[in-house]
Amino acid sequence: MEKELILRNKREDISLLAPFIEEFASQAGVPEGLVFSLNLAVEEAVSNVILYAYPPDEEHTASLVASRRGNEITFILSDTGKEFDPTSVPEADITLSAEEREIGGLGIFLVEQIMDTVEYQRTGDKNILTLKKLL
Amino acid sequence: MELEIIKKGEETIVAINGRVDTVTSPELEKGIAGLLAENGISLVFDCKGMEYISSSGLRVVLSAHKKVTAGGGKFALEGLSREVKSVFDLTGFSSILTIR
Repeated sequence: MEKELILRNKREDISLLAPFIEEFASQAGVPEGLVFSLNLAVEEAVSNVILYAYPPDEEHTASLVASRRGNEITFILSDTGKEFDPTSVPEADITLSAEEREIGGLGIFLVEQIMDTVEYQRTGDKNILTLKKLL
Repeated sequence: MELEIIKKGEETIVAINGRVDTVTSPELEKGIAGLLAENGISLVFDCKGMEYISSSGLRVVLSAHKKVTAGGGKFALEGLSREVKSVFDLTGFSSILTIR
């Protein structure tokens, strides 16, 4: 079971994610209780690409492929934007007080909390981010 | 996402309905900007109708908390669903914000 979504580097295309994940989950038999957190992890990864990978005045696309093999759910996000390894971003310190907390840095932290595996590869001119979750 | 602003006694309640994500969080930020400029405001986000929140929405919430408390006011959240609350828990926001 595999499903692909092509997103433009436009903020509004993030709205395509929720229906895509819901449809994938129902077709792939992913428990409904996981849809919220999978949607969240994927949005955090995708929004990084859509908002920052490309110069805002140019139109580009990114691909998101969702698949299920056995009990493993995999999302592969690829783009041809500037090289960026989200797994290299220092983890947000969630023990700081509200006043000390930075606005930002939470996205990749959430991805890593929710998914079991987060792997980044640079292949040719492509950023490839693979997110895996065991059911 | 839709916002409804209600004055209730000393408190200003902002009911946030729908999804607060990368697309809609700028609307939330704009919708509450005027309230954040009021010194000493008691601001409550009513999240009963909030279906989803991502880090972009958390940023708006944290920034609201900082501005309101810096202006001598009070900030709280209420009515969070189990799933929305779990995002606040995962990120440690539950321990730095008033959730009732």
